[in-house]
Amino acid sequence: MTDCDIRSKIKEVFVKNFELDENKIQDDKLLFDDLGLDSLDIVDLIVGLQRVFKIDLRKYSEIKSIRTFGDVCNVMNKIINEQKTDGMNKTSDEQK
Amino acid sequence: MRRVVITGYGVNSSFGFGADSLQKGLEQNRSGIRRADELLECGGLQCKIAACVGEYNINVIPRQYRRSMGRVAHLGALAALEAVEHCGATPAMISAPRTGCIMSSTMGSASELHATFDTIFTEKSMSSVSGMQFFKCASHTVAMNVAQMLGIHGSVLSPSAACASSMQAIGLGFQLIRGGILDMALCGGAEEVNSMVVGSFESIFAAAPGARNDNPETASRPFDLQRDGLVCGEGAGVIVLESLDSALARNAAIFGEVVGYNTSASGSHISQSDSTSIRDCINAALCDANISSREIDYVSAHATGTVQGDASEADALCQVFGGNTPVSSLKGGLGHTMGASGAIELAACLMMMRDGVIYPTRNLEQPAEDCSGLNHIQQQTSAEINCFIKNCFAFGGINAVLVCRRFNA
Repeated sequence: MTDCDIRSKIKEVFVKNFELDENKIQDDKLLFDDLGLDSLDIVDLIVGLQRVFKIDLRKYSEIKSIRTFGDVCNVMNKIINEQKTDGMNKTSDEQK
Repeated sequence: MRRVVITGYGVNSSFGFGADSLQKGLEQNRSGIRRADELLECGGLQCKIAACVGEYNINVIPRQYRRSMGRVAHLGALAALEAVEHCGATPAMISAPRTGCIMSSTMGSASELHATFDTIFTEKSMSSVSGMQFFKCASHTVAMNVAQMLGIHGSVLSPSAACASSMQAIGLGFQLIRGGILDMALCGGAEEVNSMVVGSFESIFAAAPGARNDNPETASRPFDLQRDGLVCGEGAGVIVLESLDSALARNAAIFGEVVGYNTSASGSHISQSDSTSIRDCINAALCDANISSREIDYVSAHATGTVQGDASEADALCQVFGGNTPVSSLKGGLGHTMGASGAIELAACLMMMRDGVIYPTRNLEQPAEDCSGLNHIQQQTSAEINCFIKNCFAFGGINAVLVCRRFNA
C-alpha cells in the first residue's frame, strides 16, 4: 500500500464517520478546532482506522499525539511501515 | 401545591410522525401492524409482525447530538422536537435550570445492544466497539440524548419500568412540578421494535402467536374473545408539563391539566399485575386528584390483548367504574408501544378531549366473558370528555395511572 493509498483510506474514514466535506480535509487542519471533532470522535476515529487497516492502534503511543489530519497520516504511515518491517524481519528469521 | 398543565406534545408511531398523524390514524381506525420479517429475523421467533415506524430523516438533528443516538433515541428526539415546537417555549425556557427532561424506554437501544455484542463476540475484542455505543445502549439513553440535544439544565431522569416507563416519567414530572421542584418538564418515552423485545413476550406466551402472522391487522385484539397475545409497536411520545403559573405567564396554549397520579406494585408476580392492585392504584390516583370515579368520562385502558392482563384490568375497571364509563384501548391499531405507550396514548386522549370523540378498541368484535361488564367502545363515539384516566401496567407487577381533566381557569 502506497502513502497515497493510506491517505485516501484515512480520508474515507473521516468522511464516513464525521460527515465532513472531503475537500476540507487537509494536512494542516486541526482535528478539534478546524474539523469540529472532540475527544469522543477520536475514539471512533481510532476504531474506524483499526477496522480499515486491521491494526490494534491502542498499542501504539504515537496515536495519542495526533493533532492534525497530517499527523494522523504520518502516524499511520509510520505504524504501517513498522508492521511491514516487523513482518519482513519475522519472515527472514523463519527462513534462517 | 401547584397546578400542573399540559402545554405541548409530540408523537410518532406506526401511523407516522406528528400528533396529526396519530389523530388521523385513529380517526380512520387504521392498523399500523404489518409483517416485519426484516426486524424479527431471530431464529426461533414465531411472531413476525409489529407496528413499526416508517422511514425518517434523522439528519435534521446535528451530528454532534445524533452520533450518540440509537433508533430508540432517534424516535424520542424527534417527538421531543415536535413537543418543543408545539409548546412554544423559548430556547431560554427550555434550558432554564428548573426545566427537566424525564424520558424512558424499556431498555437502551435494542438494535445497538445487538450490534455491540455482535462485534464483541465476533471479533472477540472490545477494541472495535465505538465509543458511542454506551450512550446508545444505556438505559437512560433517551433522556440523556434528548436533554443534550435541547440543552436541558434541570433534572434529567429516566424511570425505566418496562411498559409503564413513559407513564412513570409523566407522573414523576407531575409530582416534581406540583411540588415546586421544577417549572417545566419534557416527559415521555420511546421504544424500538427488535427481536429481543418481541422475544421477551413470546418466551412467556404473551406475544401474538405465529398463526397471526398472515393477518397482521387483526392480530392485536384487546378485550376480545379471540385475543391471544400482544403485538409490539414502536414510536415515541413527549408531553410538556408546566406549572400553571409558568404557562399563564407566557400566555401558553393549555391542552389539559394533570390532576392526579399513582404508581404501585402488585407485589405478587414478576410478569403481571393483578386486579386488586390495579383497582387500588386507580382509586389512589382518583384520590390524589380529589375526583370521584363518577366524574371520569373516559378510561384509556392499558389492555394489550393478552389473556390474563386484559382480564385483570377489566375486573379492576368494573370494580371502580361499574359498567357505564366508556373504555377503550388504542393498542388494536397501534400495537403495544411498550415504554412509549403511556405518552403516545395520553397525547391521543388529549386530542379526543379536544375533539369530543372517543376512538374505539380496534378488533374488539366480541368482548370476552372475562372482560365483560364494561362500556366497551367498539365504534367511534361522540362524547364530551372533561376528565379521563390513562392506565399503564408493566412487568414487575407495576401499575401507573394518570388522571387528567379539561383545563378550567
